[in-house]
Amino acid sequence: MTSLRSVLVLIVGGMACLAVAQGSAQTPEPDAQGEGLTLEVSPTRLTLGIGDTAVLVATVRDADGAIVEDATVIYFSRARRRVSVTREGEIEAYRSGDVILIALVPKDPADDSRRPDARVRVEVAVTVPLPPVERVAFTRVPPKFYVGTRPRIVVEVIDAIGDTRSDVTMSLTSSASDVARVDRFGFLTLLQPGRVEITATAEDASDTLTIEVEANPVHSLELQASVETARTGDVVRFTAIAKDARGLPVRGVPVQFGVGGQTAPDIIAAGAAAQIAEDGRFVAERSGTYTVVASTGSHSAARTVSIERRDVRRDVEVVGRGKVLDRHTSDLWIWEGTDSRDYAITGTWGADGHSYIWDVTDPANIEKLQEVQVDARTVNDVKVSEDGDIAVISREGASDRKNGIVLLGVGNPREGVPVLAEFTDQLTGGVHNVFISENHVFALSGGRRYDVISIEDPRNPTRVGRFELDTPGHGIHDVWVSDGVAFSSNWTDGVVAVDVGGGGRGGTPERPVELGRYAYPSGWNHAAYPYRSQSTGTFYVFAGDESFPYGGYSPTQGGVPSRAAGWIHVIDWSDWDNPHEVARFQVPEAGSHNLWIEDDIMYVAFYNGGLRVVDISGELMGDLYKQGREIAMFVPGDPAGFIANAPFVWGAQPFKGHIFFTDWNTGLWAVKLADRTGPRRIIGEPQ
Amino acid sequence: MAHGFSRAIAGLKACATPATLCVLAVTTTAGVAEAPDRPQRSYYVYVAAESDDEVSIVRYGPDGAEVVKTIPVGSIPAEVEGPHGLSVDPDGRYWYVSIAHGFPYGSVHKYQTETDEWVGAVTLGLFPATLDVSPTTGLLYAVNFNLHGPLERSSISVVEVETMTEVARVDTGVRPHGGRLSRDGSLFYSVNMMDSELVEFDALGFEVRRRLLLGDGVMPTWATRPTADGKVYVTGNNVAKIFEVDLSSWRVERTFATGPGPYNLDLTPDGSTLVATYKGGDAVGFWNLESGRERARTATSRTIPHGVAVTPDGEYAFVTLEGVGGDPGTVEVYKVSTGERVGAVDVGKQAGGIAFWKMEG
Repeated sequence: MTSLRSVLVLIVGGMACLAVAQGSAQTPEPDAQGEGLTLEVSPTRLTLGIGDTAVLVATVRDADGAIVEDATVIYFSRARRRVSVTREGEIEAYRSGDVILIALVPKDPADDSRRPDARVRVEVAVTVPLPPVERVAFTRVPPKFYVGTRPRIVVEVIDAIGDTRSDVTMSLTSSASDVARVDRFGFLTLLQPGRVEITATAEDASDTLTIEVEANPVHSLELQASVETARTGDVVRFTAIAKDARGLPVRGVPVQFGVGGQTAPDIIAAGAAAQIAEDGRFVAERSGTYTVVASTGSHSAARTVSIERRDVRRDVEVVGRGKVLDRHTSDLWIWEGTDSRDYAITGTWGADGHSYIWDVTDPANIEKLQEVQVDARTVNDVKVSEDGDIAVISREGASDRKNGIVLLGVGNPREGVPVLAEFTDQLTGGVHNVFISENHVFALSGGRRYDVISIEDPRNPTRVGRFELDTPGHGIHDVWVSDGVAFSSNWTDGVVAVDVGGGGRGGTPERPVELGRYAYPSGWNHAAYPYRSQSTGTFYVFAGDESFPYGGYSPTQGGVPSRAAGWIHVIDWSDWDNPHEVARFQVPEAGSHNLWIEDDIMYVAFYNGGLRVVDISGELMGDLYKQGREIAMFVPGDPAGFIANAPFVWGAQPFKGHIFFTDWNTGLWAVKLADRTGPRRIIGEPQ
Repeated sequence: MAHGFSRAIAGLKACATPATLCVLAVTTTAGVAEAPDRPQRSYYVYVAAESDDEVSIVRYGPDGAEVVKTIPVGSIPAEVEGPHGLSVDPDGRYWYVSIAHGFPYGSVHKYQTETDEWVGAVTLGLFPATLDVSPTTGLLYAVNFNLHGPLERSSISVVEVETMTEVARVDTGVRPHGGRLSRDGSLFYSVNMMDSELVEFDALGFEVRRRLLLGDGVMPTWATRPTADGKVYVTGNNVAKIFEVDLSSWRVERTFATGPGPYNLDLTPDGSTLVATYKGGDAVGFWNLESGRERARTATSRTIPHGVAVTPDGEYAFVTLEGVGGDPGTVEVYKVSTGERVGAVDVGKQAGGIAFWKMEG
């Protein structure tokens, strides 16, 4: 133990010991097994800041009170992710809270398990307080304060390490309660005209807002709705107009909206059925009759709308299959060849580097034309150029560890699929995803960045550009290019939009220029599909998650099926500088993967949740799944699949009236939407 | 060829032109013509299958070589995360595996032996590869190989394994690989593949103490644990050489011409025999270090030999074979004294990292 201790002292050398000693912990009474030993640990109680370290010192005495010099003392923490302690007593605090550390003399000094049986033991209490609040700030202040209204002010609490805190008690007080009162949520009750100071206090920090309460000029309130009848999922805009005695609109009047209603009589236990935003946008998840009430001061107005079932449900009919049952299948691309026939290319995963070329001209009779094998285990991604002449496939697991990409000539697959070139330079870490746009391949490198490679001469690809984030620990999973803007998916860094020629900020493939980025808390951003709504003109990015939080899978043949999590985030990116998330498509107990959008319909792979076809027409708000926007779902399976009866849909692409998709365990599928058959369900929505 | 372990294994080798497309089947000439004398005791190793995200326990004993358990590693089934290096701590209670690919950083994961339950993990640098655990401090040392993109300097990470906390990361050079600790755990030897260097790292002070240039353009891939008489053996992968480095004089004292692509090395405990995998030559070499002569060279049963681990009694060497594409990986067992292959068993694809666990019986 001596040598071990001396080495670890070196490790923590230089770290400040901030322990606050309050005497020594001591074994209350030597127990029988302790054979008279007592253990004292100093200090008995500590208070540490996050990141602080300290050292415990133990003294073991025998029954006569003499110090036992060679006694082994071991420490462990009951919450080591909050406060750690080494076996030698060196403590480090990671997170706030109260933690008990244990010091003990093991029965067997040679027992080096983490929590050995003890002869004697004592507890040491460690408190790691939360960082102190550094400042509070009013972050959202209404433009006007009229008597009788109930505006809300929002206050942010920031602590010493820069985090915004919601767990701190914050008080709000009014300097003149006869003018304005304020509740703990920040809602003001404005009683009479006058000046009043509202003070927000959290711990030792405070801020004061001075407001002028004015006489309320509102004489009447009128509520308008954009439509009287809509479907579930349609966004209805309610507009409240406050008017003065002359009938003129009064600006800046805070209006609260509320909604109530009655769902359709055939819906049992409907749950929450509708929502309305602060700005008056309303959307319903269930059919029925809803009344929106707007109020300001003593005035209110109500309007009722009728919501019908969206009723977009259609059946899925299997048209044909290109079975791949002896290995995993990855991505797909469908295109029309130069001979006017239709083709598909699919990759394989965790196998022996195959890509398959299929003739899908007749989706009912899918024919495998070519097998292309490269030195790889996984061809994760496949893409085809706009003119249908060149395919690019990604490589991972190459035996020479060079990986990179391979360019294939796919202009006329029936005549053959020649290898045009491979490109591995600085792509040795493995290429997970690729995209082709106007003679350039965008290739991910080692999950770190994307390189832009000119394929103007497809037999001589040349790197011309590169884009990489500069955030700590940045990663990347995917890139998709549309109209000269590259949208990369970057896990915790979210979606990043980069001008590579069409973004209007001077970017080129050689010199990409970032346009903006949008991240969300889960850090699961895996794919992104840019799309301008055909029905509204709004520019959205549909960002897909990838996550497997449930574990317990095995990807080998005959293995255990996997279950994913995550959903599609709908981001309104009409302004590069102001992306904001407006809606989601989330399938319970399944997780999203690749997606495609065409004609206001989203085709999205949901791994174990199968293929989902979603109506994304109109303005989007809220939970699209619950609104009944799902047009169709299809969950593939095959008892002879690589993993039997284990749906795991990878990606989908609509093409000439059919939907092609790949499934990890069964290969390529062609399906089409068909009129709904069978009895119409009358209980519950969506259908 | 009557024995299960000695079935002919067809390897696959990529064609030279075009570089990526066609494959040729080649059959090795090395087989096991007669039943070897099976050991009375059983030997266990952990083996990583880099392209299947799994670690297998392989036992060689009276019943030959067999896979006794396979443990899935990594966290995303639809991403290949690449378990690369393996190490069992000196008292055999835990095993550690480096996962090369992350978002983007790789990681080292800790598992209990016997139960193979996951204990913890720590995120390190880009492509953490070889790792070793100190018998003295219990600290883990891992090289961040950084096989991604341009040649950049990378590092050695030091991990405190009770909390799985990285306590130091030290710049060491370009493409560090192949690290092993001295027996007392005070020094860590690794190579910088693209700097042509052997590096001596102070495992207690966390700093590079010495660098030895092995020759212009030499690409070393491995350094052994020092022998009792102060020698470290280093592969010159691209020049088909093994360098014997004397730690006192800090110079290359002998150079051995080897088969193509010497990649990993291990020593018998008495320091008398050096076992080398020839990644480019599909063979395993057995070197008498006293005479400096290769006393046996045996063709592997599948292509791309990678790792090697010699048993603590010096009797056997376990060798991993990556294979190509959809080939399974293979673990072969060689009798060190003769260089004869005495067992083989398939594991997951691209078998690479290997670590000896225990002997029984």
